[in-house]
Formats: sequence, structure tokens, C-alpha cells
Amino acid sequence: MSHDFAKGVAALESQIDSRIAAYFSSCVHCGLCAEACLFYTETQDPRYTPIYKLEPMRRLWKEQHTFWGKFAIKLGLSKPLSEQDFADWEELVYDSCTLCGRCSMVCPVGNDITYMIRKEREGFAAAGYTPPGLQEATHRALTIGSPMGVTLKTLQAALRHVERNTGLKIPMDRQGADYMALFSSMEVVNFPEYIESVARIFDAARLSWTISSQAFEATNSGIQIGSREAAREIVGRVVDAAESLGVKYVISPECGHAYTAIRWEGPNLIGRPYKFEIIHILELLDQLQQEGRLKLSGLTETPLTFHDPCQIVRRGGVIEPPRDLLGKVASGFVEMADHGEMNWCCGGGGGVSANERAEGLRLKVFDRKRKQLEALGVKTLVTACANCRIVLEEGIEDRDMDVAVIGLTELVAEHLATTPATASDGSGAES
Amino acid sequence: MSRARIPYKVITAIQGGVFILLCLIVLLPMLTPTTARAQTQTQTQTQTQTNESERAIPVPNPSADLWREVRQREGIVAGRSQVAGVDSGTLINPYGETWRNFRMQQLIPYSGYLLAGVLLLLTLFYFIRGKIKVNAGLGDKKLFRYSLYERTIHWFIASVFLFLALTGLILLYGRPLLIPLMGQEGFSLLASASKEGHNLFGPVFAVALLLIFIRFVRRNIYQKGDLTWLLKGGGIIGKGHVPSNFFNMGEKSMFWLLALVGVVIVGSGLVLVFPVFGQARITMELAHVSHAVTTVLMIAVILGHIYIGSVGMEGALDGMTTGYCDLNWAREHHAQWAERCEQEGEVVSESEVSSLRGEAAGGPAVPNGMQESGR
Amino acid sequence: MIGQLIDGPLWYFSLAVFGVGMLYRLYSILRAGVKPDLATPRAGGGAGALRNLFSRFAPRRDVATRGRLTLIAGYLFHLGLFALLFFAQPHVDFLAERITGFGWPALPYWAFIISAELALVGLLLLWLHRLLHPVTRLLSSVDDHIGTGLVFLVMLSGCLALAQAFEPLRLLHLFLAELLLIYFPFSSLMHTFTFVFSRGYTGAMMGRKGVNA
Repeated sequence: MSHDFAKGVAALESQIDSRIAAYFSSCVHCGLCAEACLFYTETQDPRYTPIYKLEPMRRLWKEQHTFWGKFAIKLGLSKPLSEQDFADWEELVYDSCTLCGRCSMVCPVGNDITYMIRKEREGFAAAGYTPPGLQEATHRALTIGSPMGVTLKTLQAALRHVERNTGLKIPMDRQGADYMALFSSMEVVNFPEYIESVARIFDAARLSWTISSQAFEATNSGIQIGSREAAREIVGRVVDAAESLGVKYVISPECGHAYTAIRWEGPNLIGRPYKFEIIHILELLDQLQQEGRLKLSGLTETPLTFHDPCQIVRRGGVIEPPRDLLGKVASGFVEMADHGEMNWCCGGGGGVSANERAEGLRLKVFDRKRKQLEALGVKTLVTACANCRIVLEEGIEDRDMDVAVIGLTELVAEHLATTPATASDGSGAES
Repeated sequence: MSRARIPYKVITAIQGGVFILLCLIVLLPMLTPTTARAQTQTQTQTQTQTNESERAIPVPNPSADLWREVRQREGIVAGRSQVAGVDSGTLINPYGETWRNFRMQQLIPYSGYLLAGVLLLLTLFYFIRGKIKVNAGLGDKKLFRYSLYERTIHWFIASVFLFLALTGLILLYGRPLLIPLMGQEGFSLLASASKEGHNLFGPVFAVALLLIFIRFVRRNIYQKGDLTWLLKGGGIIGKGHVPSNFFNMGEKSMFWLLALVGVVIVGSGLVLVFPVFGQARITMELAHVSHAVTTVLMIAVILGHIYIGSVGMEGALDGMTTGYCDLNWAREHHAQWAERCEQEGEVVSESEVSSLRGEAAGGPAVPNGMQESGR
Repeated sequence: MIGQLIDGPLWYFSLAVFGVGMLYRLYSILRAGVKPDLATPRAGGGAGALRNLFSRFAPRRDVATRGRLTLIAGYLFHLGLFALLFFAQPHVDFLAERITGFGWPALPYWAFIISAELALVGLLLLWLHRLLHPVTRLLSSVDDHIGTGLVFLVMLSGCLALAQAFEPLRLLHLFLAELLLIYFPFSSLMHTFTFVFSRGYTGAMMGRKGVNA
């Protein structure tokens, strides 16, 4: 990819809003954010300190927004931001940050460091300093429609498989349905059992739903690489499809960053609110279950724990639904020491798992999750994000651990009451 | 991008500067003998004069008995007073004069000689022995020696100690040394500032000493082999090095000396700084004497400590600044400890250390992180 | 002569630089602007902002364990300095005479001394930590050291002037405080005020998402 320094600086400059100006003004370099970042705690390399990853942006802010900065540049006391800085920081900005948002929770002055890194990536993407893996994924998402190159044909093949397994008809392009479901490529390719589970649950709850042949891909490489234009284009496809089908709700799949992209960033990317609502699959399942439309029966006794996908929980606000659902289907659910809004990332979020260059580092920082799991001694790990799941499975294999990873939606589907009469068993275990 | 930081070289330089400053202050008492001797001369003169006048008037002064009673030459006789308060029944404290004389005529000159002597010795030693080099040379292998907490409390007590030593020495040697230099008005200002600062930071030293004691006491318990170290003179005198554990006999002895002396210093200091617990003047005088004697001793020992840590020995300071010491240095000075660390595979390379310390700032990340598996 | 300068014109000058500089910094933050969030919120941003403003005074587990030293030293310094700055008798008198025109109850002398000691210990530990910890060493700029150093010198000179018997010592303390006031708006000492903005912005965003930040 060609490099364009001037364009990068201009893009970076345009990202500096009141929030970022306040954040840089407040930072006293106390270093506490390092203690919340798994890239620092697992490597002890101080360059992985979250706020240090923002040096290029801080330098630009100082040059343009502070007296000393302008003064020092004029006198030649400090060097302006250079293209070399982009080159030097690229790996820190992309390989060693999963945008998990943990640092933003511990900062004593309240800086949202993750927000800043997300914004900094806009500058890096404009300047062309991005990892090849993410560039290719974004390119595929824009041209083929999916970062993994999943086409409508691939989806249709997967759906045929699902229909054969479940004996249900998957509704495609049904005008006026209440819900439109989205999937992530990872689910279509690696975890079709998710689609199967969704189909069975929706059928049991008699939900009016559909899948659009125009936009079924929920993931958004644009927000990972930091390209507003790409992100807007990808979100726009979903919005167009949902509005032309006239659905009331769009269901975000388990996948974490897809939720952030479509729920929280989407309206700001297209510049207007949606004419429909976004609901996360876990929120929907929890709601159906509470309304009594989803009858569950039997409890899994295996001890299990829940890995919170950062973008769904800490950055998305879906905190209680997964716990409610787990309480309905499992009797041996235990929490890890740091969970919910303070969970530890799997190490593959924010585009890191799509970035082959970062693989060694990602597997190293998986140690954090390994220690958490070993401290708890539980052999079954439930999660609700296809990306987390694949990263966790790779880490578990790399570390020769004996832990099984399962998706929460599948677990719920396994406990669907076969007849409405047995449903009372499940709801009787309410806590 | 390079960033302005205070490198360790500066810390070393500051430390060196402080060392020289201390040397200067401590050397100044060399000037005291002249003034002190002048004072004793005038005193002997006045004594001979009074002897002559006594001989001249044979009639005893009728009020002599009264004044003898008032002066209480035979010891303190406490009377009664309406004024409530410590010592309010004592008209004159005869020991006050004794204390004053001790401070002026013994404490100030002799402690001055002692501190100046220590400095002289260290300087001589430096010129004779030179900087003690690491025989095998500094290598690229390191051992982790002091944790961040240990280094923090070390420099914490170090800075508090230097401040207290400085202000304390100003108060002790101010009259003979500083008044001639800066005049009485200037010194009164400096003395007030020093006294307030000394009193304020004194209790902080007690806390710092406690933290140091708790953290380092386990490694300072005497072990087998410590005596051999002592008998061989710690290797400082000869050329060979004597094996020792994490701390050697000399360091351990210094630790215990400082711990014990420190307790006296802190205790006497608290007696002096809080005159609200009913301690009488005589208690304060005794507290002052023990405070002065023990602090001078401590300063003398610390001068040696600073000497070894700064100019005296190659590689000795690194552990306390960076946390890592040179493997060759450890092999030569703390052989038993180094051997154990090597057996347990705790040797780290210089590049790993500089990565952990973020010294290869900026630039492509990860040389360390790329390794397939951690420990 | 110098004393009159420090006590009069320089004091007003430094106060003006501090006031104008600080307001300008706050204005330059607000001037950058924030785009409205178009995503449908779960809860109001205002409540989140208010919550975050106070909840960040209490540390999260990571900070309370791995960042213990910074945490303890930070609390000692900030609480000590706050008590010292606004509730030491000499400061209350000074502020009442020069700025507010009215006084308020001050701390007893012993509490003043203890808060001074805590603040000095805290700042000393924070400074040492800044110099020794790899992370803070990497992050710290000249500005951080100048800011820390100036605050330290102001507090130290204040301690040396405790006897309140020597005018030059008081003037030294005042002079250093004036330097600090002048330096303040150009440095990261601005976090004294901007932390409200940072916590507010983050709290509002997290509150809208339904996360207790």
C-alpha cells in the first residue's frame, strides 16, 4: 500500500475533538493504564503501555493545540511529527492493541484511551501505515462483502446444510419481517452451528425473522483498520437492506466488534439515526426468555465459566443478559476473578486476529486468559463471540490446555424445551 | 522519536554532587580547632583572674552560700512553684552548662575530626586502591537484583537521610563554620529553615527506616561463610574476591549497625522533636547527646556506603538504579548468590533488560513478545 | 525591594497568568468540539458523566494490586496537598486577605504538619517511581519533571518557613509558588481542572452504553 504522510496528518488532525484534547491535557503519565493492558502485563515491555501507543497523536496535539508545542516547534526545540513516527508506531497501534477498553476503565483522570487509539488508527490508515492482514481483510470486505471472502453462495450452502439438519425453512429476504439477522463470516465458515441454533430458537419462539441476501455480513473491518469511509460503506449496506425490507429490528450476531460497529458507531458513520433498532442476539434471547416465549429446560451440571467479549460487554453494555441466560441453562456457572466490565481480552480483538504479523504476540498474551482459567480450574469456557472463540481455541491448543470452548447461543439452543409442557422445569430454576 | 528523560547518568551525577557537598560540609570542621582553642584560652584567662580576686579579698562573700544553693552545684534540688510545668520547680539546671560545654568543646571538634578523617581516608583509599574494577569486565549478561519497591524505598530513605544530614550538620557546625561565612543574620535564617525542615522530615525517616528494615531483614541474617569474608577483609584490601551471598558480611553488619543506631537516632529524635510528654531538660540534653553521637556515626558509615556505591566500585550502583546488576560483578562480589541465580536460569541478556526497561523506545515493537512461549 | 516585587506586582502577574492561561486552555479544549452521538442510548449520558466523575476516585482492582505504590503515594500526595493548600492556617489567612476576603476554619497545627508530611512523602515516592519504573520513565517528559520539581520545591520551602519568623523564607515560598502559578497553565498540572472534562466525557459515553465506568 502506498504511503501518504500529508493525508495521514490531515486525517489525524481532524480526529482531535474536545474529548481527545481533554484527555491529552489530563494525562499525567502515571503509567497505571499499563497495569490494565494484557500486552504489558504479559510481556512487561513498557512500550505496550496504552498511552504510549498514542505518542504520534499526542505529538500532533501538542504541536497544534498547546502554547509550548507551537513555541518549541518555532524555535526548533522539538521535532514535528514525522513519517518515521508512523512507521515506528504502526505495530504498537495495530499489533498490540485489541481496542478492548480495559485501560479506559482504570485511568484515574478518566481518559478513554481506547477511543483515542480508535481515532489514531484513522490517521494511520489514511497515511497507509496499516498491517497487510487488515488491509486485505478490509479490501475483501469492500469488494466481496466479507473480510473472509464469504459470498452469498457460501452462505446459501451453509443455510442449506442448516435446513437439512434442523428440518426448518430459513426465511430469506422476507419483506416486513420483524427481525433481520446478521452473521459474521467466522460463524458462517467455522461455526455454522450458531446459525442452526438461532434458527431453532427463533422457530421455537415463533419469531418473525429473515436474512437479507443483500447484507448478511455483520463484521466491519473498517472500524478495525480505522477507515471511516470503509466503515460507513459496510454499515450502509446493512442499513439499506434493513430499511428496504422494512424490519423493526436488526439482530447483531454474537461477534463482538460487529456489535460495536453497527450499534454504537453505525449511526454516527452514516450521519443519521436508524429507522430500526439494533438488538444483540444475547439481549434478544434474554428478552424472549423473560417474556416466556423461549422455554428452556434442564440444567447443565458441568462447571463452566463465561469469557466476556470486550466489545459486547465493556464497550457494548450487554452485561447482564449472558449471565441471566447462563443461570437458566447451567447450575455450575462460576465467574472468573476479573469479569464483566473488567474482563481480560482474549488477545485477538480490534483486528489483531486478522493480522498474521501479530500472531506470536497474540499467543503470548493469551497467557493472561490461561492464568485466569487455571486459577478457576474450570474446563468449560462459554463465550459469545466467534472471533473470541477462535482465538481462545488457538490459544488453548498452543498452550496444551484441556479446556472446551462453546458458544452461549448454542448452549441455550441445547436446552430448548421440546414441548411447552416441560418448560416449567427450566423456569423453576430461576434465581 | 526520542523523548527527553532524566537518564540514570544524571542520577549518578546528582549523587556524586551530593557526595561532594557532604564532603565539603564535613570537611569544614577542620577549621574549628582554631576557634575552639581560642575560646578555651579566654576561659582559662578568666579563671585565673577570679582565682586572683578570691585571694585578694579574704572575707567570704556573705551571699556565697545562697548563690551556691541557687546554682545547685551539688545536684538538682527541686523546689515548689505555682507555675505548672516540667522543671518549673528547678531554678537553675546545673547540667545545662555541662551539656553546653560538651557540645562546644568535645562534640563539635571531635565529631568534625571524625567525619573529616573518614573523608580523608576514603579519598586516600581511592587514590591508593582506585576504582575496584570487575576483573572479568562488564558483560552483556544481567541478574535481577532489586525490585522496583526495594529501589523506591532505598532512594526514599536516601533522599530523606541526605536532607536530614545536611540540615543537622548545618545546625551542629553553624556557629563555628557558617556564621563567619554568612554572618549572624544569614545564619539565623538558615538555622531556622534547617531546624523546621529537620523536625518535619525526622518522623518521615522513622517510617522509611521501618520500611527498609522489614524489606531487607531476611537477607541480612548472618550465615555460614560470613566470618570467612570478614577474616579475608572482604576482598577490598587484597586482590582476590571472597564469595558471599546476596549481601556480604560488610553489608550485613552495616545493616544491623544502622538498624540499631537508627533506633537510637529515631528515639532520641522523637524525644527532642515532641517536648510534650513531660520530659525534663535533662532528658532532652541526654537525648541530644545520644542523637548527635549516633548520627555522626551513621553519617560516617553512610559516607563509606556512598563511596562504594558511586566512585569506589564498578558495577555496584546498577542494581539500585536499573534493578539489574552485571553477572560478572555478581560472580565476583556475591558468588554464592550469582551461582544460585545461574542454576535457576535467572540470567537475562542485556537486550532483554533494555527491552523490559523500554530503552529501545519507539521503533518496531516486540523482539521479546515474538517468542513463542513465555515462562 | 525584591521582597516588594514578590509580594506585590509579581503576585498579581502570576495570578493573572494562571487565571487567563487556565481559562484559555479550557476554552481551547471546548473549541475543538464534540460531535453529537446519534446512536440510541441505553441511559442518559449526564448520569454516567456524574457517576464517573466520582467513581474514579476509587481504584479498580488492577490499580489497587499491581499499581499499589502509585495508588498509595498518589492518595497521600493529593489528599495531603489539598488539606495543606486550603486548610493550613497561614494559607487560610493569606487567601482570605488576598483573594476571598473571608476566612474559614483552619486545621489545627498538628494536622497541618501531618498533612504536609504526607504530601511530601507522597510526592517524593511518586517522583522516585517516575524515575525508576520502566513505564513512567518511558512516558515522562521534561514537563513532568519540571511540574513535579516545582511543586516539590514549593512544598519544601513552605516547610522551611514553618517558624513564620523570617520574612525572606516566606518570600522564597511565595516566589516559588508564583513560579508554579505561571508554569501551571502550560503544563500537565492542568489535569487539576481538565480531569473533570475527561471523566465527564468518558462517563457520558459509557453511561449511554449502559456501562458503569
